[in-house]
Formats: sequence, structure tokens, C-alpha cells
Amino acid sequence: MFSLFIENIKISVSSVLSNMTRSLLTALGVVIGILAVTLMGTLISGLDQSFEKSMEFLGKDVLYIRKFQWFGNKDWWEIRNRPNIQTKHSETIRNKSQYAKYVAPVAEWWTSVKKGDENVSGVRVSGTTEEFAMITIAEVDKGRFFSRAENRSGARVAIIGKDISDALFQDKNSLGERIRIGSYNFRVIGEMEKQGKFLGMFSLDNQVIIPIGAHQRLFSRRGWTGINVKVDEADLDNATEELTALMRQVRRLRPSDEDNFAINRQDPFKEQYAMIKIAIGGTGLFITILSLVVGGIGIANIMFVSVKERTKEIGTRKALGATSKMILFQFLMESVIICLFGGLIGLGLAYGGSLIINSFFPSEMPFGLALAALGLSMIVGIVSGLAPSYKAAKLNPIDALRYE
Amino acid sequence: MSLIFLKNIYKIYNVGGEEVRALDGVDLTIKENEYLAIMGPSGSGKSTLMNMVGCLDTPSSGDYEFEGEKVHNMDDNQLASIRNRKIGFVFQTFNLLPKATAQHNVEIPLVYANIKREKRLKMASNALASVGLDDRMHHKPNELSGGQRQRVAIARALVNNPSLILADEPTGNLDSKSGQEIMNIFDTLHQNGNTIVLVTHEDSIASHANRTIRLFDGKIIEDVAK
Repeated sequence: MFSLFIENIKISVSSVLSNMTRSLLTALGVVIGILAVTLMGTLISGLDQSFEKSMEFLGKDVLYIRKFQWFGNKDWWEIRNRPNIQTKHSETIRNKSQYAKYVAPVAEWWTSVKKGDENVSGVRVSGTTEEFAMITIAEVDKGRFFSRAENRSGARVAIIGKDISDALFQDKNSLGERIRIGSYNFRVIGEMEKQGKFLGMFSLDNQVIIPIGAHQRLFSRRGWTGINVKVDEADLDNATEELTALMRQVRRLRPSDEDNFAINRQDPFKEQYAMIKIAIGGTGLFITILSLVVGGIGIANIMFVSVKERTKEIGTRKALGATSKMILFQFLMESVIICLFGGLIGLGLAYGGSLIINSFFPSEMPFGLALAALGLSMIVGIVSGLAPSYKAAKLNPIDALRYE
Repeated sequence: MSLIFLKNIYKIYNVGGEEVRALDGVDLTIKENEYLAIMGPSGSGKSTLMNMVGCLDTPSSGDYEFEGEKVHNMDDNQLASIRNRKIGFVFQTFNLLPKATAQHNVEIPLVYANIKREKRLKMASNALASVGLDDRMHHKPNELSGGQRQRVAIARALVNNPSLILADEPTGNLDSKSGQEIMNIFDTLHQNGNTIVLVTHEDSIASHANRTIRLFDGKIIEDVAK
């Protein structure tokens, strides 16, 4: 039976190849279906990777006290009038909170950073305290973070991000060098490791970190402020409640007043992301199913034509001793091979597409999905080939031989 | 010993409520190494008889034994098997696969007999050599003349050493010279001990055979041995 199997594959392959244009057109639906499902998989895997990285940056165990809710449904005019977060409240939180392990105020402003003739504009300048180093996931790559003493004295020292060191220093040593942040001189004491983009939107490496004292003196109260609080992951909910209470206390809110601040964490990002993922996956799946069904009908149609055209061949084969089962198998195989052929083309195109996606954010074509896609095209081949093959198998050899 | 034994064979069709007796009580015995021609006008039932003898069809009633195997109550798979093992077909229109080489065409019955590739290739080459086409093995049908195509078809009929070679108007689509060549091959096959049944309406072709039967209205009306 095995040699018959091989022979059948050969017959089918040669039949598919000798009708190349027809096979290609027929397989188009399957090509698109497989392309859609694999590209979708690649996209999602890429988004997953980049999302996970971005979430690492936010940290599972960090609460962000901010003016705005990250994913709020409040009207903007209501929150616009909220008071800014005052960085001095970080002291209160550190002193009173049971759950806070590290507390760092953060003030941000955007300005240009210069070294000689080199200039980078739109750099995020973060002012914070030495505790920030304990909260952020990013490590200091070269040099060091500033000390408590430097923070207290408002020393003009800076830790620069990878984008800045690349632009201003290239391969040269940056440590100890002077740079101009806005119109003020700072001394570089450290470089942060490369962090990449946040959700593919902006570079986390396009920043400099300076002591908050210096930040507030030099960049006054421009930009936005907030307080980052690191807690134990298990205490997130309790800590959120406690921080809310503390903030209400320092802001002297009456019980009837609404919160005029927000305690943010990464969870809502995850919820939003899950929804985006469902949307992408759903669209991809819809396109896939639609094109596979349409493609399958096309294949069934072309197989009916093929059976009709080759009625005499079927009669001859039966006269020479082919059983109905063997004829069924031959045509089924042909249909499967057209589909596999379409599946392989789809995978090839998807691979090309994944390289394009990869140039936007790191992603890879999931191998398991590629295999599943080929399996799926085989199933389409079997399902759509079944009726035509059955028709071929059931042909009466005498009638088939007489067919002109 | 009789190779083929047909007794009281009826084949009855129902066409538009009317009963058509394509075979109407046929008795026929064919011995080994016989060279038989079946003749008759169209509608006489000679095609039906040929299909019956070739195990493509089963009778409505009657007994058919092929080398002692009861064909009349076989199912489709058994019929396919007996065709594959014991009968070699030669058709008027050659019925070669257009995209396959001569060798591959000859291989087909062996594929269905589940014979290994090396052995198949060898048997196919031998069969092609026996009809004088050793130098055309890798040609496709459209690269061959009509006579050569029919010789490929004869090689295909011979390749599995059948007990019976069944030829349906084998020279019908050939010019007289090629037709003569083909008939010479059949004569040689007969001399080598093969049993041959020819279906034809040409007396000149039937004259090669050493026994001729004539059908009319589903009945054998004449059975002459030379």
C-alpha cells in the first residue's frame, strides 16, 4: 500500500504542477487564509513581547500617584483643574505608609541636551531622588546613580539614557564629561542600560535623570510631577487604599469630595491590551475563516471540473485494476496537495510579512502556528476534495470509458 | 481447460420503462490460447459482452467463471482485482495518460498491483521491448505515432502477464499500415501462448482470429472455428 501512496502523491503533484496557473488561482483563498492567520500570530507574538517589556518598565509592584488616571473615563475638564501632585508629599508617604518600601517623587520636563556641537532635542529630563534607582527596573549600565548626599545638595549631576550617550558620545567615554541640559551644565556620572520603546510609542532611552532639587530649581515647576511608590506585589490593593487615604489626608479632602488624584498601576494596561489582542485576533480569525471557506469552495469546484475532464482517465485506471478507494485517494490527495501548496505559499508570504513587522518591533513567526496553518490547509483540502473525489470513485468504469 | 465459462448470461436494462435485453441468454466458453473475434452490428450486444468478459460489468443473471473464480457475484473490489491480475485491456482510443511517459503508462497496472518500483520499471521496460519500443520508453504519448501509442497500450496490457488480452477495436483509430503492424503483434502474442479476444466489426481484422462469433440482438447467432 505504501508504494501506491507514494505513487498517488507523484500523480497528484505532477497533475497540480502541469496545471500551474489553475492550481495557483485555485489555491489563492487558502494562500490568503494562511497568510492572515500566520501574520496575525506573528503580530500578536510581537505585540506580546513588546508589551511584556513595557510592562516590566512599569513594574508589577509599583504604584504611580498622578494627577490623571491612565485609563480614566472622567471628562477632561474635571481633571484639568485638579491640583498637581506635590513632590514634597513623598516625604509624608514615606513616613506614614506601612506598605511603601521605596518612595520617589518624579518631576519631568522636556528640553534639549547638548555637548559641543551635538544636540538632542525633546529629551525627557526626570528629576527624582536616589530611591528611584530602587524602584525602576532599568539598571545603571556604566558609572553610578547619584547619591543621597548629591540629591540633598541638588548637585548638577546626570545619568543619561542610551539614546543620549549614542548621540553625544558615540563610543567615547561619557563619564565625568559636561553636558548642557537646557541652558545649564551638568556632569555625567552614569549611563542607563538600553530599555527600548514604551509600547512602541516613545523611546525610554531618550532621557536624562537628575536630582529633583536641581530639577525644581532649574526647570521650576514646569512639566508634570508624580510620586512612584514601590510596594510588595501582594500588598498592591491594600497599598492603593492606604495611599488613597494618605493623599486625601494631605489634600484635606472632605469625605464628600471626590479624589482629585489617581493611584495608577499596570493592570489597566493589561486589560486594554487584552482587548486589543482580542480585536486583532478576532479580525485575523474572521479573515482566515472567510478566505478558507471561500477558498475551499473554489477548490471543490475545480476538483469537480478536474474529475469531469478526466472521466476517461478514471475509467482507464479502473479497467487497469484501480479500486474505488484508490481513485478516491488519488483525487483527495490532489486536493490536499493544492491546499498544501497554497498553504506553503501563504507561509512564505507570511514569513516575508513577519520580517516587515519585525522592522517595527521585535517579533517572530510562531513555529507551532505555522505547523497548525499547514495542518489547517490540509483539512481544507480534505473537506473540499471529499465530494469531488467521492464522485470520481463512484464512476462506473464502463460509462467512464465511453465518455468523450 | 476452459479459461472463461459463461452460461445463460442475461443483461437486462430498463430504459424509460422498457426492458432492453443487451445480452439474451448467452453461452460462451473460451479455452486457453484461443484467438477469438467477437463481431456484430452496433446494438447487437457485443460491447456488453466484452464488458462482461472483461469483468467491468456483472450479469443480471447467469454464471460467469474466470479460471474457476465465480465472477457473477463479485463486488467492485474483487472485480478490480481480477481485472488487474488476469486481464489486459487494449482500447480503440489507446487511453494513455497524456502527461506520463510510455514507461510510466505501462507501469500503471503494476502500481495498482502494489509492486515495488524497481521491479515495476524492469517489467515495464521488458513489456515495451516486447512490442519493439525499447527506444521510446521515455517519450510521452504526443511524441509517438498512433501505431506506437497502441503498441504502448499493448505493452500495458501485457505487463502483468494476464490470462486474457481483451482488445476493443484495436485498429479502429489507425491507418491500415499501422493496423497491420498491430495485428501482427497480436498474432505473435497468440503464437506465444496468449489468449486473445478481439471485438471488431471488420472482417479483415476478424480473419486473424481462429474463431469468430457473431452477435445479433443479444444472442450468439454464429460461432465458427477456422
